[in-house]
Amino acid sequence: MSTWLKKLAFWRTPSVQLTAIQQDRLARWQALPRAADWEQPFGSARLDIVDVESSGLNLRKDSLIAIGAVSLDRLLLQPTAAFEVVLRQETVSSHENILIHGISGNIQRNGHEPVEALLDFLEFNGKRPLVAYHAFFDEAMLARAMRQYLGFQYQAPWLDLAWLLPALFPEHYGGPVGLDTWLKRFGITVFARHNAISDCLATAQLTRIAIERARKKGIYHAQGLAALENAKRRASRL
Amino acid sequence: MTANATLCLATVEFLSKHAPFDTMRAEDLTFIAKRLALAYYPEGHIVLEPEMGAPAYFYIVQRGAIRVDGATSGPSQDTHALLEEGECFPIGAASGDRPTVNRYTAAEDTFCYQLASADFHRLLQQSSEFNRFCTAYLATLLGQTHLNMQQSFQQKALEQQGMAASLSRLIRREPITCPPDTSLAEAFTAMHAARAGSMVITEAGVPIGILTQSDLLPRVLLPNTPLDTPISQVMTPSPFTLSEHATAYDATLAMATRGIRHVLAVDGAGRLRGVISERDLFAMQRVGLRELRQRIEHATDLANLVQAGQDLRQLSYNLLAQGLGPEQLTQFVSAMNDCIVRQVIALTLPKHDLHDIQWCWLAFGSEGREEQTFSTDQDNGLVYLSERPDDEIKPTLLAFAAEVVAGLDQCGFPLCQGHIMASNPDLTLSLEAWQRKFSHWISSPDPKALLAATIFFDLRPLAGDESLAQRLTKHLLQHVSSNTMFQHMLAGNALSSHVPLGLVRDFVTETHQGQSGWLDLKKSGARLFVDPARVLALAHGVAATNTLSRLEQAAPKSGIHPDVLHAMLDAFRFIQLLRLRLQQEPHTEKSRANLLRVDELNPLERRMLKESLQQARRLQSHLKTRYSL
Repeated sequence: MSTWLKKLAFWRTPSVQLTAIQQDRLARWQALPRAADWEQPFGSARLDIVDVESSGLNLRKDSLIAIGAVSLDRLLLQPTAAFEVVLRQETVSSHENILIHGISGNIQRNGHEPVEALLDFLEFNGKRPLVAYHAFFDEAMLARAMRQYLGFQYQAPWLDLAWLLPALFPEHYGGPVGLDTWLKRFGITVFARHNAISDCLATAQLTRIAIERARKKGIYHAQGLAALENAKRRASRL
Repeated sequence: MTANATLCLATVEFLSKHAPFDTMRAEDLTFIAKRLALAYYPEGHIVLEPEMGAPAYFYIVQRGAIRVDGATSGPSQDTHALLEEGECFPIGAASGDRPTVNRYTAAEDTFCYQLASADFHRLLQQSSEFNRFCTAYLATLLGQTHLNMQQSFQQKALEQQGMAASLSRLIRREPITCPPDTSLAEAFTAMHAARAGSMVITEAGVPIGILTQSDLLPRVLLPNTPLDTPISQVMTPSPFTLSEHATAYDATLAMATRGIRHVLAVDGAGRLRGVISERDLFAMQRVGLRELRQRIEHATDLANLVQAGQDLRQLSYNLLAQGLGPEQLTQFVSAMNDCIVRQVIALTLPKHDLHDIQWCWLAFGSEGREEQTFSTDQDNGLVYLSERPDDEIKPTLLAFAAEVVAGLDQCGFPLCQGHIMASNPDLTLSLEAWQRKFSHWISSPDPKALLAATIFFDLRPLAGDESLAQRLTKHLLQHVSSNTMFQHMLAGNALSSHVPLGLVRDFVTETHQGQSGWLDLKKSGARLFVDPARVLALAHGVAATNTLSRLEQAAPKSGIHPDVLHAMLDAFRFIQLLRLRLQQEPHTEKSRANLLRVDELNPLERRMLKESLQQARRLQSHLKTRYSL
């Protein structure tokens, strides 16, 4: 088989064998219907705010190091409704990279078995709405890891605050700006920047504020936010 | 589910920057951090108000600010305070599991941590720092009751809540509205979010329909109406509206006659200004202070007064429930009772010929001290002065007194078991006879005389010629201040009530109907302050009869330090508050009106009661030293 064919085969089949239990867990997640939290009013829905840490910003080469998620559950942020995992790394990320997220080489080497970590994340989220700031990055890093370790095409709809915030608060900024700009604008302090959970906590507060504005505009659920985000993206393309 | 360590760490870091958390043990901080949820309130959102009942959560402001408005004063008054980052609320209501007195509104977009009430109580028990903080806070609150009186116990404040108030003043928040094509799902989500009981459907600001919570069952749930149905299909069309300038009375009447629970207030152009619910009107007193006073003063017969007496009791309960301080409340009850007594006398007087007699109606005991609680008997008498011979006028006076006493009984002042009433020939006496009686008690203080002193030496004029009462008081003070033997005996009598605290500072309780654990808040509580205050006042020539006034005026002359005095005043107030609360409970039988089950106090109240009794002990030891007892 030629090299490119091998490569293609690699993309199609899992590189690792899943145990029967793991296969079962994955199948069960895949069989889940889309969560009602998309259409339920915010007051009774759960949204998961996600932030990932990686070895770098290259979507093709860099690997997923940690996943953090904080739930906005019925509009409340509870310390019990959170998810945090470090994925075990074969090769520890660069020194500069460690300085950014603070996940040391030791912690990286002693992290969770990636297959388990990813399955845990899938089960934590179910198929509830996912929210992130510059969601394409988190989405791509997660999808890459899922493909590599679970051997399947991870596709989940995301809400991207980078688009939603300018759509909801056009009086502040018309288009996407950096996360820190919004945090500063709303006076939200971050406990430890570039720690996945801590960033999630700050992003979750932004989400909560965004929801309040959305309700004032007559948007009562996550699906409504998705529509708003699409409209904003389309408008920016014109 | 376990709490996330990083999230807890972030919370702990926040908490440790603010009092009282900065002094708390790490494990207590972790305990809190694991249980705190972060909630968001947009500007103007009401976080807590008295109508919500006992608060489910204790709050800590994480970012933003919460405005605190006194419940008895409108938001326009400057009695509000601002709670900022790191400050907590409502300490008093959360520790007492009682509705808040104040309204807490987000002054700007605000994040608050919330701790469930049960966890708050666990924290009170396990963290002595936190417990101390809350106790100290409550102690300051008690100290402020005096101030509150001037600020909030004003007729104006109560009038605002009267039936004459315009609807625009009753509107508490922006109405929740939606256009007619809104889906039920959206409408319900918005109602839920705003904790609103109704949704008004408007077109260009004009209400065209209403949907209330009570409509949900019959119109949506039972007929299985899909939630994407436009609200206009299930709403009540053409809802009842009133001008925003209409009165609360109009709204009440409309609700009663039409059987509706919501009235929409609209402006001149028919645009919606707010929703008045049945609850809004209930929260308001049905009768305000001034109206009640007018009704008493304009009562033309006893039947009207009887009704006013009932309303007075209802109003006092409401006021207590709304958190009016004990001092204000007892003064309010006393003031209204005085009013009723005067009116009963005024209605009775024309039937009796007292034209050439100078007379004064006297109140004794708790009525004389203006410390009446809800269940107080009549304690009264008459003093008179006349040129005519005694045996000629006394029957006239007694007939008059008997009719007044009977009238008072009908108005809800039960007859005195001990016959301390003006209808008793021994208590309707000439000024001279009263003076002789007083002198006799003072010069030969046997137990009977000392008991009499605790009732009759707390006298206050209620109607008629007040100068007679003043002369009697002057006589009393002259004789007592020059008679140290009597003072000594009276002090000894005051010390015969024991402070119900054990050696290890726990309560010494008594048994009642085979059940132990009771504390008599009158005998082993209030009296521990009332009796010593009387001794000190009489010894120093203080004419006041009210226990707080007596202590205040006698303390400087008696060498009691102002700080000590204030602690004593607070302690007495707290015990009176407990008594009022006890008597407000519907199941209280009269024999138990002052009996408290110590177990039923929450930990904080226990602490405060102990502290209050400590102050009683202090007052007693002051008397002991003074009279070498």
